[in-house]
Amino acid sequence: MNQDPPDTDRLEGLLDRTLRRLPLRRAPRTLEARVLGELNRRASQPWWRRSFTHWPHAARAGFVATGVALAGLVLLGGSRLAMALRTLEVAGPASAWLRRVAAGAGAAGNLAASLADAIPQGWLDLGLAAAIVLYACLFGLGAAAYRMLYLQPQKPAGEFR
Amino acid sequence: MRAYQDMVFSTAARLTGNDAPAEDIAQETFLRAYENFAHLRASPTAGGWLKTVTTNLALNHLTRYRKRWRFFSELKIDDAEEDSAGLAYESAVPDTLLEHLGSEQRRAVIDDALRRLPEHQRVALVLYHFEDFSYQEIAERLHASLAKVKTDIRRARAALLPMMLSAGIAP
Repeated sequence: MNQDPPDTDRLEGLLDRTLRRLPLRRAPRTLEARVLGELNRRASQPWWRRSFTHWPHAARAGFVATGVALAGLVLLGGSRLAMALRTLEVAGPASAWLRRVAAGAGAAGNLAASLADAIPQGWLDLGLAAAIVLYACLFGLGAAAYRMLYLQPQKPAGEFR
Repeated sequence: MRAYQDMVFSTAARLTGNDAPAEDIAQETFLRAYENFAHLRASPTAGGWLKTVTTNLALNHLTRYRKRWRFFSELKIDDAEEDSAGLAYESAVPDTLLEHLGSEQRRAVIDDALRRLPEHQRVALVLYHFEDFSYQEIAERLHASLAKVKTDIRRARAALLPMMLSAGIAP
């Protein structure tokens, strides 16, 4: 073991000199073509498929105005709908349709609840455990694929071993 | 672009230790440069701007991947290599390193050695020796303590030395 401060300083100086003198790595030949290709692809896109900052000013202003108007409509419409639901008794055919939808949703909920009651608790636990195991397997497979396909090719050929 | 592409790619490749994401990062850097072309075309600091953007993109990439894969792929590697790096250098520090090699050969040997370092050591070392960051700046950028950064860099140096000395590479 050799960690004397003079040696530590010498190593720092030696590595600093060595690393700073290193030439740059040559960029892959494909880089320039990739950049130009991506620029062409972006340039050929219609404005509404580019990022928001590249939209024309009028389109941006229109989008914001429409967004604000829609938000206002939703808020206003929501309060109106709530009021209308409270007065279903006096409403016409629309309220009958809403009542049918509400009754259908209630029936579906009741059916789901009775199905859940009919399934033994053990089966539910088993299903949950199977889902967790499958999820973990999938995660492990993804990690293994990452290490095999992504990390391995970059490891050096073993010049130092 | 041709004037800077080697610098941009080198910076990304040395920080990530992996050519594929380095090429993606270099591409993204030049796309951002194109978006700021009006400012950069006459700027004397265009090179610095490109280097800063590359460094930021590379560090963001590493942070994203560390969060995503640390549990399975990096934690064990880091621990194992940390132990061996913690042994420090057993051989005496020579006066010169890889002087008998040509510059391209030396570059290949050192880039391979850098790739073999644990990520947290490699990133700190590259920022210090290649990008001229101070210890304090590295600590702030990596959200690590100053002591940890110093330790990582010291261990990285200690791990690099035997890699370069071994296999008869150094005189």
